[in-house]
Amino acid sequence: MAAPLAVVLIVAVTIRAVLFRSSLAELIAQRVEVVSPLNAWKRVVEGLALLDLGVTPYSGDVFHETPLIIYLFHFVIDYSEFVFMIADGITAVALYLAVQDYNKIVFRKQKYALEADRYPRDVLELIQTPKDMYYIPLKVALFYLLNPFTILSCVAQSTCGLNNAVIALFILCTIKGSAFLSAVFLALATYQSIYPITLFAPALLFLLQRLYIPVSLHCPRFWVQALQYGVMFLGSLVVIVCLSFFLLSSWDFIPSVYGFILSVPDLTPNIGLFWYFFAEMFEHFRLFFLCVFQINVFFYIIPLSIKLKEHPVFLMFMQIAIISIFKSYPTVGDIALYMAFLPVWSHLYRFLRNIFLVSCVLLACSALFPVLWHLWIFAGSANSNFYYAITLVFNVGQILLVSDYFYAYLRREHHMAHGLYLKRKDGSEATLVLK
Amino acid sequence: MAACRSAVLYLSLLTLVLCLFGSLGPVATDSVEAKASQFFRSGHTNNWAVLVCTSRFWFNYRHVANTLSVYRSVKRLGIPDSHIVLMLADDMACNHRNPKPATVFSHKNMELNVYGDDVEVDYRGYEVTVENFLRVLTGRLPRSTPRSKRLLSDDRSNILIYLTGHGGNGFLKFQDSEEISNVELADAFEQMWQKRRYNELLFIIDTCQGASMYERFYSPNVMALASSQVGEDSLSHQPDLAIGVHLMDRYTFYLLEFLEDIHPASQANMNDLFKVCPSSLCVSTPGHRTDLFHRDPSSVLITDFFGSVRKVEITTEAVDLVPNVTEQEEEPTLIVMPAEPQSYVEQLPVAEIIHQKPKQKDWHPPDGFILGLWTLILLVFFKTYGIKHLKHIF
Repeated sequence: MAAPLAVVLIVAVTIRAVLFRSSLAELIAQRVEVVSPLNAWKRVVEGLALLDLGVTPYSGDVFHETPLIIYLFHFVIDYSEFVFMIADGITAVALYLAVQDYNKIVFRKQKYALEADRYPRDVLELIQTPKDMYYIPLKVALFYLLNPFTILSCVAQSTCGLNNAVIALFILCTIKGSAFLSAVFLALATYQSIYPITLFAPALLFLLQRLYIPVSLHCPRFWVQALQYGVMFLGSLVVIVCLSFFLLSSWDFIPSVYGFILSVPDLTPNIGLFWYFFAEMFEHFRLFFLCVFQINVFFYIIPLSIKLKEHPVFLMFMQIAIISIFKSYPTVGDIALYMAFLPVWSHLYRFLRNIFLVSCVLLACSALFPVLWHLWIFAGSANSNFYYAITLVFNVGQILLVSDYFYAYLRREHHMAHGLYLKRKDGSEATLVLK
Repeated sequence: MAACRSAVLYLSLLTLVLCLFGSLGPVATDSVEAKASQFFRSGHTNNWAVLVCTSRFWFNYRHVANTLSVYRSVKRLGIPDSHIVLMLADDMACNHRNPKPATVFSHKNMELNVYGDDVEVDYRGYEVTVENFLRVLTGRLPRSTPRSKRLLSDDRSNILIYLTGHGGNGFLKFQDSEEISNVELADAFEQMWQKRRYNELLFIIDTCQGASMYERFYSPNVMALASSQVGEDSLSHQPDLAIGVHLMDRYTFYLLEFLEDIHPASQANMNDLFKVCPSSLCVSTPGHRTDLFHRDPSSVLITDFFGSVRKVEITTEAVDLVPNVTEQEEEPTLIVMPAEPQSYVEQLPVAEIIHQKPKQKDWHPPDGFILGLWTLILLVFFKTYGIKHLKHIF
């Protein structure tokens, strides 16, 4: 399977190289859907230029990257295009290996359940076969590399690509079972943008599942493992933050990076939900609504992990999707990451209800974003309401996608446990409803 | 006998008439002078009209029809195109959705085409902006603006200003992207007064909550009419099913009907205008404001604003014009002093920039940071893969 992956990588690198050399590169680098104030390339360049002039890059509202990014780009700024292409490659390879291992785990679990005769008779058509699962890792890498969103994000040189690479490596390490490395990468991802901290729960659940520790509050081994993982994560985070202090000998980066992400002062339009609301909000309500909006990202992990404690990888997928919908400055690069996972759940296709609608909505909105932007900013015959309407519809489409997969997953699990053709007590056909 | 008596009668009549005429003769010459001076003392000598439609898009057909119907009446009553500034924010006659191109109708069943053959639109499409409107009123236009786009009024001009579009409490929307407030409008009128750009001003507005636009006026000699009070909406009249949109707003529809009955010699006055659209027909309550106006509204003729009526007095007498001679002062000869040559400071030291060397990167990460970072990376590596790899390094 290495050869097809190499071919895919070469094709992806070619496409990106061609786009880098064309005149579209500057055009794409300015699109608000692709870059945000957090991860725009021109801000990185500006920050490094400020540093060369002897001024801290965090002065003013220009630069909102972490010091480790400064360190990385200080040396490779002339080869930045390669860095982003390599980052995309790393993400794709990491996802490929992760999904390969995950498929092995799924297949092994299925084999044990079949041997233990735990599946009802009529469920056999739902079981995943190795033949189906053989091409899934390649499809995952393909989906990530050739997704137009990823290509746009790479050509725009948005550091979202680096964030995606770190999260992909974290997923790889979690699925391989190495708690320490996974804690380190999670700490790196959290250090860059705060939201991946919510991925702590699915990672912990996966590691517990791997060690056959039941998830119950009475079991001491659960607490030991959880504490171990938590200490490793927090320790790495503290170490990285302290190390960043030594780069510029100041704590300036904390309000500039984390304060910026959490308090959303910059209201440039993007594909998220924050900018429009906060543009028209009264000052005395701002803190309240800020808390409400930010809680949306962090809160859903709690009920989802209670429901999906047996299925941590699906939980990870859902949480990444929730992060990229509800975060304060989303870009299309974040969307590309969770879309790469969709081939893993391709066996759920028969239970998906809204997939046509969702794909139409997402395609139409992606086409309408630049149109309405042009109408609003350049032609002057639309206004921000039009653009925000498309943002809302796009996010509703994404939420519909995620909830559709959730429904399909739960429904399949229910069928696997209780049989495909469900009967009520009196023998008539029953239907499943997601409540 | 009878012929004699009739001849005497005729002769006496003639002498009587001649005497009368004779007596009248010197009186006649006095009254010509008096009439001539009176001619110049009363009111205005020229009329202007500024007619603005502020909305675009096909479904705002009625606003363009409103403005064009007022334009039609004003032209019919005598104001020439050179004295009308017509601003239309969109082109309805040549709109793709117009089933009858080159026409704009005001009555349903296409009874009255207010577009006609000789419409001259001065500001069209995107040129109708708040800035252009205020510049037209105050006269602060760039020197390159053609005469047809200027309001070249003086202190003897009566100006009719008609605005229509979508409005709210205190503002009028221009082109869906900006608005003009009642304060700005009142200040523009005050600028006109101070620059002596009008003698009397009649301001008519047909929008929702139109009365709010004249609340803030404070310049003298301004009379204002609006189609609805604050908190009320102005409603549109009838839709035409063939064209598919509403053709006119109610207030301007009844205003047009009223004006169709006015001819240049008509003596109808402003009080009739105030009664134009009662609430029973218009649903909204039209309002007016006359407290800033110096004359009594009942003595103000409609044609003082809507028409360009010339007072013509025919006389065969000679009128003595008193010459207005002022002393021509001798202009002092200017002493021309040789000025020293002046030059601008160099904006960009181009010569220096061209020969500048590329700047070296001045900042380097501190050594402690690099040490710490790579130590950490090595530690993580060894922890994960075991200490046995250490022997490959050393």
